[in-house]
Amino acid sequence: MSGRVRTRIDRGTGEIVAYSDAAVRNNMAVIEYCRTSMAALSGATAGMLGLTGLYGFLFFFLAGLVLWVMLLLKAGSKWQQYFVSRKSLLTSGLFSGLFTYILCWTFLYGMVHVY
Amino acid sequence: MAELLLDSDIRIWVFLPIVLITFLCGIVRHYVSVLISTQKKVDLQQVQDSQAMIRSRMLRENGKYIPKQSFLMRRHFFNNEESGYLKTARRPAAPQPMTDPNMMVEMLKGQLTNVVPMIAIGGWINWTFSGFVTTKVPFPLTLRFKPMLQRGIELVSLDASWVSSASWYFLNVFGLRSIYTLVLGENNAADQARIMEEQMSGAAMNMPQDPKAAFKAEWEALEIADHKWSLKDVETDVLQKAELELPIDIQSYANTA
Repeated sequence: MSGRVRTRIDRGTGEIVAYSDAAVRNNMAVIEYCRTSMAALSGATAGMLGLTGLYGFLFFFLAGLVLWVMLLLKAGSKWQQYFVSRKSLLTSGLFSGLFTYILCWTFLYGMVHVY
Repeated sequence: MAELLLDSDIRIWVFLPIVLITFLCGIVRHYVSVLISTQKKVDLQQVQDSQAMIRSRMLRENGKYIPKQSFLMRRHFFNNEESGYLKTARRPAAPQPMTDPNMMVEMLKGQLTNVVPMIAIGGWINWTFSGFVTTKVPFPLTLRFKPMLQRGIELVSLDASWVSSASWYFLNVFGLRSIYTLVLGENNAADQARIMEEQMSGAAMNMPQDPKAAFKAEWEALEIADHKWSLKDVETDVLQKAELELPIDIQSYANTA
């Protein structure tokens, strides 16, 4: 993956970190892909289980957390090679997945439990 | 409140068709917009300008790694009063987006593939499936959501978490957006907002609308950029580090020499 190399000063150690812009964007796109899949699947699961109210939202955040842990396990100890920050991996795009989650949740809940 | 019992025919003939119609229409819209969109032409001048801007920015950011003379030489190329690139470039003023016919056509196409189907299908669904209570959202909602979720049914006593057919369509329109990314790939046309976003932050950013103003800003930034060579004492630093790491080797090397 070619692309421009950007530098950034690490706040913790004051060191200059260089990273490839294109590669970081590619990683972000892959993460987005995972996140959408996770939102849709967990929404479908919540709908089939018939979770209502706060439990459904708790399930969403739990699924997000599980996805985060799985990503970190996949990246292993060298996560710094792939992502700029671990925390933003958890938080970025969490709420954009919420709409997908609610739709799948409502859909399956309606299919299974309402009628 | 008392549970409402819905006819399961509603599920087969209203609830599912709305999801399918919305989803398939999004896919059709994607392919239609791929068909009618024209490849954006980039003229040589624009590419040259944007590359010059990128080079100038790199010089500002990473100029500290080259000797002072090299830095000044490059800055001279950009900023010299008589012959500097940023000074001498004469570009015609940016065309007004409204008067440019190509721009108008592009905008019209965007409208055509985006807004028109949404209104048309929304109207059609409103007309065909009007008045059905289709489903229930699995969480309680306050009364303020009633006009949003129960478009088409005006029932005061109905709980706010029931969803009418028209509103179910709109929920689908918004919720399926990121599903299209899964199905159609990253740069799909069904999701215009994302494309806009990517253009804004794109790596090979296109030239801003008014090159003159951009050049002036870049010239200013480059003019005040200070050269501070960060490799000043690099030889001694490296030697010191090597000594610290390999004290014995250097000692023995010195003995044999």
